[in-house]
Amino acid sequence: MDYRIKHITEYRYNNRVSHCYNMAHLMPRDTGRQRCQNAAVAVVPEMAFSSTREDYFGNVAYHFEIQRPHKHLVITASSDVQTQAQTVGGDLSDGPSCRSVRRQLSAPNDADTLDSREFVLNSPAVHVSAPLREYAQASFRDDRPFLAAVMDLTTRIYQEFKYDPESTTVATPLAEVIENRHGVCQDFAHLQIGCLRALGFSAKYVSGYLETLPPPGKEKLIGADASHAWISVFVPQQGWVEFDPTNNCLAGEQHIVTAWGRDYFDVTPLKGVIFGGGDNPSLRVSVDVARVAPAAS
Amino acid sequence: MSQIQAQFAELQELTYAANPSAADEAHGPDGEVKPHWVYLLDSLRVLGPAALADRHTKAHRILRDDGATYDIGSDIGSQGRTWELDLVPSLISSEEWARIEAGLLERAELFDLLLKDLYGPRSLLRTRVIPPEALFSHAGFLRACQGMPLPTPRSLLMHAVDLFRAPDGELCVLDDRTQVPSGAGYALENRTVMSRILPSLFRDSHVHRLAGFFQHLRMTLNALAPQDQPRIVVLTPGSHSKTYFEHAHLANYLGFRLVQSGDLVVMDGYVWMKSLEGLSRVDVILRQVEDSYCDPVELRNDSQFGVPNLMEVVRAGRVAICNPIGVGALENPILLKYMPEIARALLGREPRLRALETYWCGNAQDMAYVQDHLEHLMIKPAFRGGQQSSINASLLSRKERDALMQRLHADPLQYVAQPLVQASTLPTFADNQLVPRPAILRSFAVASQSSYLIMPGGLTRSGLKQPLTVIANQQGTHSKDTWVIASEPERLLTQMSDDDGSSVREADLMGLPSRVVENMFWMGRYAERAEASMRLLRTVFVLINGEEPISQPCRRILLETVSHITATTPGFVGADDAAIAAPEAALLRTINDTSLSGSVRSTLNAMLYCAEQSKEMLSSDMLRVINDISDALQTLDADQSAQLASAPEEALDPLVTALMALAGLANESMVRGYSWRFMEIGRRLERAQQTTAILRHLLLPDCQPHDQQTLISALLLTLESLISYRRRYRAQMSVRASLELVLMDRDNPRSLHYQINTLHQHILALPKSMASHHELLAEERSALQAETLIRLSVLSELSVRENGKLAHLAQNLETLKHLLDTISNAVSDKYFDHRESSQQLVHSIWEND
Repeated sequence: MDYRIKHITEYRYNNRVSHCYNMAHLMPRDTGRQRCQNAAVAVVPEMAFSSTREDYFGNVAYHFEIQRPHKHLVITASSDVQTQAQTVGGDLSDGPSCRSVRRQLSAPNDADTLDSREFVLNSPAVHVSAPLREYAQASFRDDRPFLAAVMDLTTRIYQEFKYDPESTTVATPLAEVIENRHGVCQDFAHLQIGCLRALGFSAKYVSGYLETLPPPGKEKLIGADASHAWISVFVPQQGWVEFDPTNNCLAGEQHIVTAWGRDYFDVTPLKGVIFGGGDNPSLRVSVDVARVAPAAS
Repeated sequence: MSQIQAQFAELQELTYAANPSAADEAHGPDGEVKPHWVYLLDSLRVLGPAALADRHTKAHRILRDDGATYDIGSDIGSQGRTWELDLVPSLISSEEWARIEAGLLERAELFDLLLKDLYGPRSLLRTRVIPPEALFSHAGFLRACQGMPLPTPRSLLMHAVDLFRAPDGELCVLDDRTQVPSGAGYALENRTVMSRILPSLFRDSHVHRLAGFFQHLRMTLNALAPQDQPRIVVLTPGSHSKTYFEHAHLANYLGFRLVQSGDLVVMDGYVWMKSLEGLSRVDVILRQVEDSYCDPVELRNDSQFGVPNLMEVVRAGRVAICNPIGVGALENPILLKYMPEIARALLGREPRLRALETYWCGNAQDMAYVQDHLEHLMIKPAFRGGQQSSINASLLSRKERDALMQRLHADPLQYVAQPLVQASTLPTFADNQLVPRPAILRSFAVASQSSYLIMPGGLTRSGLKQPLTVIANQQGTHSKDTWVIASEPERLLTQMSDDDGSSVREADLMGLPSRVVENMFWMGRYAERAEASMRLLRTVFVLINGEEPISQPCRRILLETVSHITATTPGFVGADDAAIAAPEAALLRTINDTSLSGSVRSTLNAMLYCAEQSKEMLSSDMLRVINDISDALQTLDADQSAQLASAPEEALDPLVTALMALAGLANESMVRGYSWRFMEIGRRLERAQQTTAILRHLLLPDCQPHDQQTLISALLLTLESLISYRRRYRAQMSVRASLELVLMDRDNPRSLHYQINTLHQHILALPKSMASHHELLAEERSALQAETLIRLSVLSELSVRENGKLAHLAQNLETLKHLLDTISNAVSDKYFDHRESSQQLVHSIWEND
């Protein structure tokens, strides 16, 4: 599928910001099932300097600095992305059992499996704990096919946790999420990652967009989309497989990846340091994911 | 010899007996003194305890005068703990040092290769030499540093190792320090003091010198940038850092600017220092800031010590950092466990230096060992930067040990265990005798063109008790100079080729950081403000306690003036009659109350803080006087009840004298650069403002002739002009004559005219942009106007009182006050950095938080 994505982030400050430095993960990366054809970031007011690099995880990191006073900052990231569905699909009961996955991770035969062990470890926002382990346990019988078990966990999170955009902020600790049983896509992704890691599996955080389809007969509203988050789990010999606990599915063609990392804090869409600005800036984000005719190749 | 004589002789001589329970550095296994210790121990015996104690006192004084502190408290104005130096050096023979040096060289090379691999291909993981968890679970491994470039063959530029001698006599590694390997500057200071305090002993011992190490450090830093004379700065977290003395000392010794976070800014892809003359580019940063604090954009977002976007400039190769950011990954004790295998993989052989046995709880076998032997182990967090400290499990109860095991099981990757070992002991001078104390040695390596250079010796620290893991800079720990004893005198180091004398000090290539001149300005202002306050307070004490009674209105005017001048209003302003009648307690508070902004004490604390911030600009004599001021403040505390109650004005005398000394030394020992000039501007501005205010408050009020006399003499006394007045006028106190002396006389260094004239000269000498050739700048115009106003004054007009008012004088003083404020604001706006405080755009969580 071909998409054109426009992601606008807008800050309004109470006081003047004299200058600022930012780092953004707003340009989609290439993945096994996705090609980013064009990506650009436009910033108002005018940037003094910017640079693009590939980060540790292979994502595109964009740095910029503004050296003129401003009270209003607008960052517009535009990109054209071509996606495909994941190669796994249909029958998830193919492939290795949970026991086999665990065994291969502890005695890896190949570099990919060895490398994936980085994603078993704790990360800034995801610390494994007994409650996570207990919650996860029910899905992962030793002889069960691993991907079927992950799908089962995905479904349980979908069914047992309430999607509630009011309930959490970015910094909601995982312990609270599991206690209160509600959250947003970031929380569910962190939760599922925590569950998988608690049992010794490799899991990473995927940040991106999901194309939303309008209700039948209605026109799609521009800007109605939002940035989204889901997870990816490692299967030895097979690679990374993406699941979306917020929507109870495997990530598909409509899941467009921006960046991945150990958790949200490796791939924060926009962070940085501002000088001045006062308290409580107002933030507005709008995302538009539009299908376009396939680019001639 | 009678028994008493023998005892007497014992008291006079310093002898040393080792404790047989631990290995001793001065004695061989046979109990005999080792040959290279004989000369030192003989000399100390002859010197005797009294003389050594005396030298110790001297050494302490030198260290204090040099401002050598460790662990300055967070209180503003607190001076920190003076660095403790034990005068008995640690001796290492040349033969043994050659072996140690070879081991350290090899280790530095090994760690360099390790660093490159960890942030490069990570072949050690691929080839299963180390498990991925050993690296990836360690918070010192910074993913942002993957593939960072460095323009020299060596990535690891500095490497420090803590060493101890194990019971079997072998020298072992305790840990490695790479992020901010502190101690080299303290070792240098120790050496300087030792060579002064025990000159002949030092000379005759043929000690290997330290200078070469620092010359190499300079050359290495110079080689980090392509330019011939790269601009190099030392970045410190600031004067509240534990080791701030060292940062300032190194910067001074090496000739680099000492800067803080706010002095540097990234702009257009380069790092710049904000200086008086504008921005100057920075090519190399010798950082004293830990890895994760270096860049708040990519690393810890809450850091106030770094430079936003620094990492991107490093990546572009436009600035070099020493040590490179990310080296904290090497301060990982888990790696110690795998070091023999790592060395085989990277060097093709086992390392010469053995490290203390290390068990990692992330390894199942090791964990089982830890479980079985917990009471004999020290448990350490794998990451040093976190909240937790090491735990000596032998001191725990059974229950506490169980709780500890639970913690280890909950997060096994994050802990290592090491056996509790006894370090060898060194003779240490304590309680007038030589006693054996366990000690560790921190060694320092710096990269050179082909390999590394090891500082001969290093920093020895001796602690009160075993086991060695607790010998750090804790209470009761002493440092020692470390002498590598040459078998023959070392030839004098020849000047290195880069030091041909014609080269400019690096620091002089760049302007002064704006922060430094701002601190000098405020140091001048606060010093003057404190002095003015104390002079007035002295006068008021003398008058209200004097034999001549003072009328209530006059008393009120005097006391209100105190509140105005010290800026502690309301204070006496509008106070009731009872407060005016019994002002002592409130006056004492004006002197001594730290929490009262404007009190003498808080003003002096502010001055001391500014001095600390710009320490490297001050001469050593000035630093000594600053120590005196801080001492006098302490005494003031002790005196508060006793002395202040009887003749309070005398308690202020030492402080006034010290401030005068400071002012005198500033003029006699500081180079006439901008730092001196800004201090002078601060001083003159403050004195001009204070004098204007005193004139206003003491001369303008309409009162009885007798009271007027009292107030004029108070004015003259406070402005130190009473004697000149009497000599010149021999008359009654008159407004006219006093105005001539304290307002108009350009030769009286206390007069307003003198201040404004001097201020004007300084302002004309400040750096300017080329914007205008003819139009005066705001501060120049105001200074000229103020000076002209005074020079055009007509005394008969100023001193005539109509309807009870000195209208002319009042108006002129008002105008002067306004002009002085304009000058102050203009100077501050133009030359000081008015950086707004920074904040995070979004709040982040950092590794291990």
